[in-house]
Amino acid sequence: MLQVTRDRTQEIIAEPRFQSLASARAKLRWSLSVVTLIMFFGFIALIATARSALGLPVAGLSIPLGLFLAMSMIVVVVMLTGFYVYMSNSRFDELASRLNREFGQ
Amino acid sequence: MKRFLAALFATFPFAAAAQSTSATVGRSTDWIAIGMFVAIVVATLVITYRSAGSTKSKADFYTAGHAITPLQNGLAIAGDFLSAAAFLGISALVYANGLDGFVYALGFLTGWPIVLFLMSERLRNLGSYTFADAAAFRLERTPIRLVAAIGSLVVVLFYLVAQMIGAGKVIELLFGVNYLVAVVSVGILMILYVTVGGMQATTWVQITKAALLLCGGTLLGFAVLSHFDFSVATLFAAASSIHPKGAAILAPGGLFAEPISAISLGLALVFGTAGLPHILMRFFTVKDAAGARKSVFYATSCVAYFSLVIPILGFGAVPILMSDPSYFHVNAAGQFNKITDLIGGTNMAAIHLSGAVGGPVLLGFMSAVAFATILAVVAGLTLAGCSAIGHDIYGQVIAKGRGSDAREVWVSKIAAVGIGILAVLLAYSFENQNVAFMAGLALSVAASCNFPVLAMAIFWRGTTTRGAVSGALAGLFCSVILVILSKTVWVAIFGFKTALFPYENPALFSMPLAFLFIWLFSVTDRSTRATRERTAFDAQFVQSEIGIASAAGTRVLAEATP
Repeated sequence: MLQVTRDRTQEIIAEPRFQSLASARAKLRWSLSVVTLIMFFGFIALIATARSALGLPVAGLSIPLGLFLAMSMIVVVVMLTGFYVYMSNSRFDELASRLNREFGQ
Repeated sequence: MKRFLAALFATFPFAAAAQSTSATVGRSTDWIAIGMFVAIVVATLVITYRSAGSTKSKADFYTAGHAITPLQNGLAIAGDFLSAAAFLGISALVYANGLDGFVYALGFLTGWPIVLFLMSERLRNLGSYTFADAAAFRLERTPIRLVAAIGSLVVVLFYLVAQMIGAGKVIELLFGVNYLVAVVSVGILMILYVTVGGMQATTWVQITKAALLLCGGTLLGFAVLSHFDFSVATLFAAASSIHPKGAAILAPGGLFAEPISAISLGLALVFGTAGLPHILMRFFTVKDAAGARKSVFYATSCVAYFSLVIPILGFGAVPILMSDPSYFHVNAAGQFNKITDLIGGTNMAAIHLSGAVGGPVLLGFMSAVAFATILAVVAGLTLAGCSAIGHDIYGQVIAKGRGSDAREVWVSKIAAVGIGILAVLLAYSFENQNVAFMAGLALSVAASCNFPVLAMAIFWRGTTTRGAVSGALAGLFCSVILVILSKTVWVAIFGFKTALFPYENPALFSMPLAFLFIWLFSVTDRSTRATRERTAFDAQFVQSEIGIASAAGTRVLAEATP
C-alpha cells in the first residue's frame, strides 16, 4: 500500500496550510453538526414541554404550529447540507488537492 | 419460543398453502397492477442482466468500480434509504397518530446532515468497500472486522425483515397471493440482483425506484390536495373531524409525549442513519471524497422532498378512507375500528389512498412503486450484509487479505443466498409487527454499535482496538437485550404481561454506553499495540483530510502499516 511514511506524515501535519485546512473544516463540521442536533432535539424538547401549543394553528397559514416548525426544519436541513457542500466545493477542495499533489508523489 | 417454532413450521409450503388469503382490493383492478409489477420486475432483471457483463472484479461487485456519478449515487442513496418503512410505515404512522408520524420522518431526515458532516468524506478517503475498512484503518484487523461485521449483519437482518414484511403485505393485498409466496418471490429477486449484477445492478434498481417513488409520491400528493381544492386547512379540518383521536392528531403526542422515549427514539433515528451499513457502503461507489459529499446533498434533497409529501398522504388518507367502510373489515354489527381494521393493516393506508383518489390506474401504479421500493432496499441490504461476510469476515479475517478476489466474491454471493433465506424465514415469523418500529430497532443497533466505533476510530486519537471492540459489543448487546425486554418483544412476542424495559427504543442507554466503553477501555489500554495505534492516528488523519493514497491513483487498502 502507498502509505505515507512517518516522516512524511509529520511533514504534512506541520505544514501550515494543512493545519489551516484541517482546522477550518473541523470548525465548519462541528458547528453545523451542533446546530443540526440542537434544532432536532430542541424540537423534541418542545414537544415534551409545550405540546398543546404546537397544536394551535399558525395565524394566516391554517396549519398547526408543530407541523409548520417541522416543515421549516426540513427546509433548514437542506440548506445546511447545501451550505456545507458549497463551502467545501469553493474553499476546501482546491487546497486539499493542491496539498495532495505536493505531498502525494 | 413456542410461537417462533410454530412459525418455522408454518414456513413449509404445505402448511402455508392451507392458510386463507386476505381480501383483495377489487379483482377488476388486478390486471393493471399485475402489468406494472411485471414491467418493474422485467426492467430490474434487464438491468441485472446488463450489469452482469460489467461486474467482473471485486471492486465491480462491491462498488460498481467506484464509477457511479454523484447525482446517480445521490438518487441511489435516496432509493436505498426511502424504504417501505419510510413510505408505507410513516404514512401509516401519520394516518394512525397524526403529527407524530411526521416527527418520525423528521428524525430520519436529520440523520443526513450528520452523515454528511461527520462520515461521508472521511469514509471515502479511508476505505474502499465497507465501513469496516475505515474503522480498521489503524486498528487491529481481526477483532475490528469481526465486530463491525456482526454489527452490520444484525442491522441488515432487522431492516431486511421489516422490508420483507412490507413486501409480503403489498403483494398479498393486491393479488390475494399467499404472504409466504410473496415474501419468497422478493427473496429470490433480491438474491438474483445481488449475485448476478452486484453493486451495478443494485445501484440502478435503486435509481429506478427513487425516480418512481418521487414521481408516484408527487402524483399521489397532488391528487390528494386536489381532492381538498388545494386547501390545506380543509384537509386538516376534515382529518381532525373524522379521526378517532380528533384534533389531537394535529398536535404531537403519543410517540413523543414522554421525553425519555422521545430522545431515545430521536437518537436512534439521527445517529442510526449514520451507522447503517448499506448507506455507508454507497459512499465507496463514487470516485472520491468530493463525490461522496455531493451525493449526500442530492440524497438529502430527495429525502427532504419526500418527507414533505408524506404528511399530505398520511393526513389525506384519514378523511378519504375513514369515511368509507369498504376499506375496512366490518364486523357483523356493521362496526369497524378506523385504525386497526383497515384491510391489510395500517401500513396499507397509502396504497388504499391511491385507489381512492386515482382509481385503479393510480392504485396499480403506487402498488408497483411500493413493490419497487422494497426490491431496491432489500437488494442494498443484502449486498451490505454479504459484503460484511465476504469482505470483512472471509477476505480480511479468515484469508487475512491474502485470498484471491474471485474467491472472496464467490463467498459473498453464497452469503447473499444465505441472508436471503434467513430473511424470508424471519419475515414469516414476524408478520404482524409495525414495519416502522422494526426499522427503529435496526437503527438503534446501528446507532449504538456501528456509529460509535466508526466515529471514535475516525475522530479520536486515543481509540484503541481494545476500546473499540468493548464499546461495539457493549452497544450491540445492550441494545439487543433492551429491545428483547421492551414491549415489542417481551410482551408482543413472548406474551409476558409487562415489559421489563419501559421504553420502545434503547438508544439513549446503549449509545452512551458504547461511547463510555470505548473511552474507558482505550484510556486504560497500556499495551504497545495501543501506543502504535495512537501514533498511527497521524497518518490516518492526513489521509482522511486530503486522501493521499486514493488520489495518487493507488488502490487504498484499509490496513495501516505499523
